[in-house]
Amino acid sequence: MDILRRYARDRVGLFFGIVLLAFYVIALTANWITPSDPFETNLAEGLQPPSAAHWFGTDQFGRDTFSRVILATQVTARITTISLLFSLLIGVPIGMVVGYIGGLADAVVMRLTDMLLIFPTIMIAIIIVVVVGPSQSGVVIALGLSQLPNFIRIARSAALSVRQELYVEAAVAAGASWPDILLRHVLHNISGPIIVKSTLALPGFVLGASSLSYLGLGVQPPTPEWGQMLHEAKDFLTSAPYLIIGPAIALSLFVLSANMAGDSLNETLDPKLKGRRVKRILPRLAGRIA
Amino acid sequence: MLKLILARLVFMAAAGLLLLTFLFGLFHAIPGDPARLIAGDSAPEALVQSIRQAYGLDQPLMTQYTTYMGRVLHGDFGLSNFSRQPVLKIVMPRLLNTAKLAGWSMLLAMSLSLLLGSLSAMYWDRPLDRGITAFSLAGICTPIFVTGILGLYFFGVHLRWLPIGGMTSWKHYILPVLTLGLAQAAGFTRMVRACMIDALGRDFITTARAKGVPERVIVFKHGLRNALLPIITFFGLGLGHMLGGAAVAESIFNWPGLGRLMVDSILTRDLPLTQGCIFFFAMVFILVNLVVDLLYRWADPRIAHD
Repeated sequence: MDILRRYARDRVGLFFGIVLLAFYVIALTANWITPSDPFETNLAEGLQPPSAAHWFGTDQFGRDTFSRVILATQVTARITTISLLFSLLIGVPIGMVVGYIGGLADAVVMRLTDMLLIFPTIMIAIIIVVVVGPSQSGVVIALGLSQLPNFIRIARSAALSVRQELYVEAAVAAGASWPDILLRHVLHNISGPIIVKSTLALPGFVLGASSLSYLGLGVQPPTPEWGQMLHEAKDFLTSAPYLIIGPAIALSLFVLSANMAGDSLNETLDPKLKGRRVKRILPRLAGRIA
Repeated sequence: MLKLILARLVFMAAAGLLLLTFLFGLFHAIPGDPARLIAGDSAPEALVQSIRQAYGLDQPLMTQYTTYMGRVLHGDFGLSNFSRQPVLKIVMPRLLNTAKLAGWSMLLAMSLSLLLGSLSAMYWDRPLDRGITAFSLAGICTPIFVTGILGLYFFGVHLRWLPIGGMTSWKHYILPVLTLGLAQAAGFTRMVRACMIDALGRDFITTARAKGVPERVIVFKHGLRNALLPIITFFGLGLGHMLGGAAVAESIFNWPGLGRLMVDSILTRDLPLTQGCIFFFAMVFILVNLVVDLLYRWADPRIAHD
């Protein structure tokens, strides 16, 4: 509760946090709140400019773009949540274990992540798509794996600092086995930084999913996704430029609010960072996708 | 220094061999029969069988691996499944086109971010700084396919000032370079600003001010030179990521580069071509990384003695 109260003190962060929350509410209720069926085609009403009935106009098949943007919110939220969990569930245990035991395993895993970090995440994601094939689950695997090195490193450095603590030493002296120490002490104490890094990584996941879909390597039509909708809209720039409005605004707003809300949360959980927002952008730049 | 460069080249060769092994594994990890893929879905079984023999796909895996590596080391990446042209011949001109796009964009991003970042640090927490920060935040949060399409619409379709795709005249460069360069400049600016604020807070800056050195010299000579070290690293990292972004930019502006070739080859399931593209892209990333590493040592001689 105290954390929530402190978080609410940052007005800008609070605003974008609410916007981000709104996106997730839309995602959860998408099946009920779309004004018309996002898949229903009606060629007679194709490519109509925005009106009271169709706020963002209709696409080449006469589908309501507004409804499709809403459903795309659900698709994006699902993809990013699952791939984030994927990275967390695999990356955190690996990072935690190698950080705690150190030695050869640590050196090998670190060299491997070093090598992977040379390549932009989008490239790794594209290569993974070559193997698993372009699809929604393909995007999840590609994003989850390509962000894996970042999560391994975060968990490792957190575990490394916890290892030095007196309470870990006390647990060792008391005869606790190392899986016990990892689960009870290390995991418990690194959960804070990991939650923060997860929110900070969220924009990267969203951008990755939409970039892959824009390239035709991600979510396949007729399922709507913002990047994929923009790709389709590009073919109608001359006759129906209004088609880009909806997906472009939704995508940018989602990334912006995830960025700002993540920043705020970071500041709340680590007050030492107060007023040094610029510096925290640095590590994230390295994970930028497009 | 020479010894170091040599060691790095050996590392690069090793990385290349590892990568080729990985790509070979990739080729075999893909579900489906590669011979069937080359022949097409409706081809008769006899044709598929003859292709299997011609490509050596009926050989044991180890034999296939050694022949593959042997061929690649002689510069033979095989033929594209569709155009039947040697992969190397298709990839090389595309690589050059991507280098042109990335080079100009990088130049724009670096010069703009050094200027804006330094200005932002000079006028820290004042309206100019806030404006520049807002610009860079907007750039970081907008994916390049959004800015690219918007630019395409306003300057290509609405105003008709610029061509909407291809790369035949200097006019074709403007939109892609601006899209890619500005997106990268947005990220760089925040970084240059942070490094400059840090550098301008040091004691020797106060000393320079006390001596009456003009502010312009303080910022661009004393400040920038000391902020340069972290900046070089981030520019290098940024170049790698910009090459990733180039794949998207090329597909927006129909730029005949390596990124679009790679995406197209994946969509048409042209595996030899995909392998070639991935290999050359990866080698470029490794090369960029090495150059950054060397530059870093040059900028900070202290590291070389560690």
